[in-house]
Amino acid sequence: MILARIDGVVVATVCHPSMQGRRTVICQPLNEAGAPEGAPVLALDAHGAGQHQRVLISTDGAAARAMVGDEHSPLRNTVVALLDAS
Amino acid sequence: MRLGNVIGHVTLSRQEASYRGGRFLLVQPWNAANYSGDDKPQASESTLVVYDQLGAGVGSIVGFTEGSEAAKPFPESTPVDAYCAAIVDKVFHQLPK
Repeated sequence: MILARIDGVVVATVCHPSMQGRRTVICQPLNEAGAPEGAPVLALDAHGAGQHQRVLISTDGAAARAMVGDEHSPLRNTVVALLDAS
Repeated sequence: MRLGNVIGHVTLSRQEASYRGGRFLLVQPWNAANYSGDDKPQASESTLVVYDQLGAGVGSIVGFTEGSEAAKPFPESTPVDAYCAAIVDKVFHQLPK
């Protein structure tokens, strides 16, 4: 899983049916020191992570498909945990 | 999933049978700078050809997925590794102060 920070939200009305009505957040991966590292990725957020909240992202497509309940969903990244401020 | 700018189309004369009904977009993937509003084309990222069923046009921003997940939204097994999952209307992005 990837440690990341929520830097924003993406709105897309025209999208794959498995994404409709769900929140797509922009996640900036962080390294062990907490500094941004690499290009941001988009993930599906079912836990209502706030802006600049640190989260864990799962990159398991099967879990994403199970979450949206659509075996033909092209999704991979999902927010699975919200980190406490450490 | 990643964001990218659609910069063109690719038209195929001969193609896989399972590609019927799809279009191919030429997409320039975003890097971190693009998210905060800097739209200089970045040299490091290679332009991708993305399979599209949503009808994205040139100049729009699309969210596309790659790898094995990109081959999932098809009834039969299809050799696709970049799939346009969303046409983005709005990107709200703000770095922490």
